[in-house]
Amino acid sequence: MAVPVQWYLLLSAAMFCIGVFGVLTRRNALLFLMSVELMLNAANINLVAFARLWGNLTGQVFSLFTMALAAAEVAVGIGIILVLYRNFSDVDVTRATTMRW
Amino acid sequence: MTDPTWPRLKLGSHLLPGLAAVALFAVLAVVVLGGDFGAAEGFPADAGITAGIGYAMFNLSFGDVPSEGFLVAFLTIAIVLDAALDGAVMLAKREGDGDDALTALTDGGRVRDALGGDETAGETNNDDTVDGGDR
Amino acid sequence: MSAAFTYAPLIVALPFLSFLIALAAGLADRDVLPKGGAIPGILATLGSLALSAWVALTVAGGAVFDETIYEWAVAAGVESQLELSFGLLLDPLSAMMLVIVCLVATLVHVFSLGYMNDEGETGLPRYYAGLGLFTASMLGFVVSDNLLQSFVFFELVGLCSYLLIGFHFREPGPPSAAKKAFLVTRFGDYFFLVGLVGIVATFGTAQFGGAESFPHVAELVLAGEASVRTFGFAPETWFTILGLLVLGGVIGKSAQFPLHTWLPDAMEGPTPVSALIHAATMVAAGVFLVARMYGFYAVSPTALAIVALVGGFTALFAATMGLVKRELKQVLAYSTISQYGYMMLALGTGGYVAATFHLLTHAFFKALLFLGAGSVIIAMHHNENMWDMGGLRKRMPVTYATFLVGSLALAGIVPFAGFWSKDEVLYEALIHGLGTEGSLGTVFLAAYAMGLLAVLFTGFYTFRMVALTFHGEPRTDLAADPESVGWNVKGPLSVLGLLAATTGFLNLAPVKKLTGAKVDFLHQWLEGPEGAALMATLSAKHYKHLLHDVNPAQVTASELGPLLPAALSLGLAITGALVAFRLYATPEPTEHTAKLGGLQDVLYNNYYQDEYQVWLATNVVQPLAGVADTVDQSLVDGVVNGVSSVSLSSGSRIRRIQTGVVSNYAALVTLGLTALLVAFGLYEGWLL
Repeated sequence: MAVPVQWYLLLSAAMFCIGVFGVLTRRNALLFLMSVELMLNAANINLVAFARLWGNLTGQVFSLFTMALAAAEVAVGIGIILVLYRNFSDVDVTRATTMRW
Repeated sequence: MTDPTWPRLKLGSHLLPGLAAVALFAVLAVVVLGGDFGAAEGFPADAGITAGIGYAMFNLSFGDVPSEGFLVAFLTIAIVLDAALDGAVMLAKREGDGDDALTALTDGGRVRDALGGDETAGETNNDDTVDGGDR
Repeated sequence: MSAAFTYAPLIVALPFLSFLIALAAGLADRDVLPKGGAIPGILATLGSLALSAWVALTVAGGAVFDETIYEWAVAAGVESQLELSFGLLLDPLSAMMLVIVCLVATLVHVFSLGYMNDEGETGLPRYYAGLGLFTASMLGFVVSDNLLQSFVFFELVGLCSYLLIGFHFREPGPPSAAKKAFLVTRFGDYFFLVGLVGIVATFGTAQFGGAESFPHVAELVLAGEASVRTFGFAPETWFTILGLLVLGGVIGKSAQFPLHTWLPDAMEGPTPVSALIHAATMVAAGVFLVARMYGFYAVSPTALAIVALVGGFTALFAATMGLVKRELKQVLAYSTISQYGYMMLALGTGGYVAATFHLLTHAFFKALLFLGAGSVIIAMHHNENMWDMGGLRKRMPVTYATFLVGSLALAGIVPFAGFWSKDEVLYEALIHGLGTEGSLGTVFLAAYAMGLLAVLFTGFYTFRMVALTFHGEPRTDLAADPESVGWNVKGPLSVLGLLAATTGFLNLAPVKKLTGAKVDFLHQWLEGPEGAALMATLSAKHYKHLLHDVNPAQVTASELGPLLPAALSLGLAITGALVAFRLYATPEPTEHTAKLGGLQDVLYNNYYQDEYQVWLATNVVQPLAGVADTVDQSLVDGVVNGVSSVSLSSGSRIRRIQTGVVSNYAALVTLGLTALLVAFGLYEGWLL
């Protein structure tokens, strides 16, 4: 008995929106990174689900690459957070507003 | 000092932006549930999925399941990862003289001199010149 | 096409080349050219003279030429296209003018050797560059085949006059005089420009000659055979307005009342330049322009009346001012204004040939007089006051003889050139005044009366000048021992003296009327080669037809014999001359101006022309400019500043949406995505 693809997509949408919720409500940059990770993995679920839908491996391979890219993103993101902390003595993203206007 | 150390959901001023995410989910759910995707093709029962993925990464066509070739993407990702690591190291390094090892301390990256503003330091230590943190 | 016409552009190009050479020499700032650049100038003008003579011979042989050489702008319109071009129009009128300009320019260049080089002037390359450009501009103006090209060269002529009048720019007078000349003529040219735009807008062309030319189209419109856009005016009124606007430029350049004030001041320039300005280039340009587009004026009674009145009045007005001047060149300056007044008078009263004739003879005798004056000025070590001269007759025989010939021609004494041309001017004015019905005839007669009275004054001031300069006893040591002048002064004087004595015989119209002998060569010349299609709209015969048949006032010549008017004007001229001689050709002449009473001051101050113009400038124009400035500062600038401050302040407020807080951006992106999805959904029919 196969699970219909809609449920996978619903799960992915839920994960994505949880990630968005985190981005919107949190002020800590590290939590931001985690939320972004959630959103990326929601996309992975989509890819895998569609791979099964079409009987094609491309989506699965692609999700691997997404994970690799997520690793790169986290590496850079952590670096940025370090610099952020060094300049503002805080990891609150709402305080880093020197570049506006 | 009764603050929990785990994150707690603070509503209030954060509720409104959070509602935007909920609204997005509602719309997505409507879209997904309203769509008709047909029956999934699925994979053959005896197909080697993992082997197929491995072959697809190197443009080899020995796999049982059709896929596109990803050799160029593979190499690109390899370079991007490398660059990201270098970038992360560069960002993490302190500007100026490299002999300052403070960033390597396991106190969450906090500079000891900047500890004076911390609430725990304010209670336990009123002397600004004293090194704080993990003493 | 005749070979002469192939080379005709060189007539303009050669002096321009000499300008470039002199300019390069001037910029090199070393004595790279012998004689400071005079040699290329002389060679170039000689070459132009030879080519002009060739062109004139070709035209005499029955060929005319009207071609566009270079088209520099083409604008496609709804019905037709507008072409702005440079071209050559070589017909009898321009061929004659080419010869005059080249001849005078050549002689002036030669004379400059004596006046400038031998006097040790500095900055000679600049001087010869100016002369070259001046000559080239005037030649370009003469050969123009359309009004726009004329305007361009008209302005160049004005520029050159500015450069040359202000040649001695370190002294206080010349720069101010140069500015005045430039500004006053520019003031007239402003009207010319407006008129030019009006003509192009009305006719879609600015060509002078041919079936498509604007004078011819105007003629057809008045005859009811064509129509043009006249901007709500009746065609007669509109053409008159256009003609008068162009006339504004003519009045400025030809120094007619009330824009004549620049010309006496322009005497600050070197004397050869004065000769060039007065005889052949600048001032002649105005009159030549009216003659060039005479077909346009001939059809409008009002324009003719105004031209005639301005001319007659200027002739008289300037002559009276010339009566009391103390300086040699000032007398000549006012005589120039007066003589160009005669030409305008002739043009206004339908005497196209007479005006051209006077232009021709005047060019020679006025160049002669100026060069003669230059010779005297050299001899007097640049003292121009006639009361310091006297008795130069015996010491400067060549100058005296030629100057006397020029003076006789200027005064209009038979048989010198000026007599024949001035007599014809007055005769044409008289017979057209008598023959034309209605108010136009009266206007012609009034203009004639002024011109006739001016003859008396002309005779007087001319011979007052001669008597004071050359007769009597030397009144100063300078006059007793004048500096001698060289061949390069005497040569041009002799050539011009010969011409001033003889050019009158080119057109013995009265003799023809009396005897029937065909000796009115200029009439035949300007009636043009028979059979040339181009001449159908450019010949004197055609203008006569226009004046009589197309012009609503029907300008007609009466059948009056030429003898009586000629005798009258000659009598007046001789009377004036004799009175002047009696008063001033004495060993110890005295000023008789005190007898004029209150008039004396008025004449000395040139009828307060400068004063009232300055008054106009300071009390009328300046407040107006102040008002305009206020409007500009407050209204125009206010609007601009308002717009900029509104955008500045709104920008500084609106930028506050950029909070710099990542969460806000993320919220906006989320909401945007949601809204987009909903919008797509609605578009695809969620609600339907």
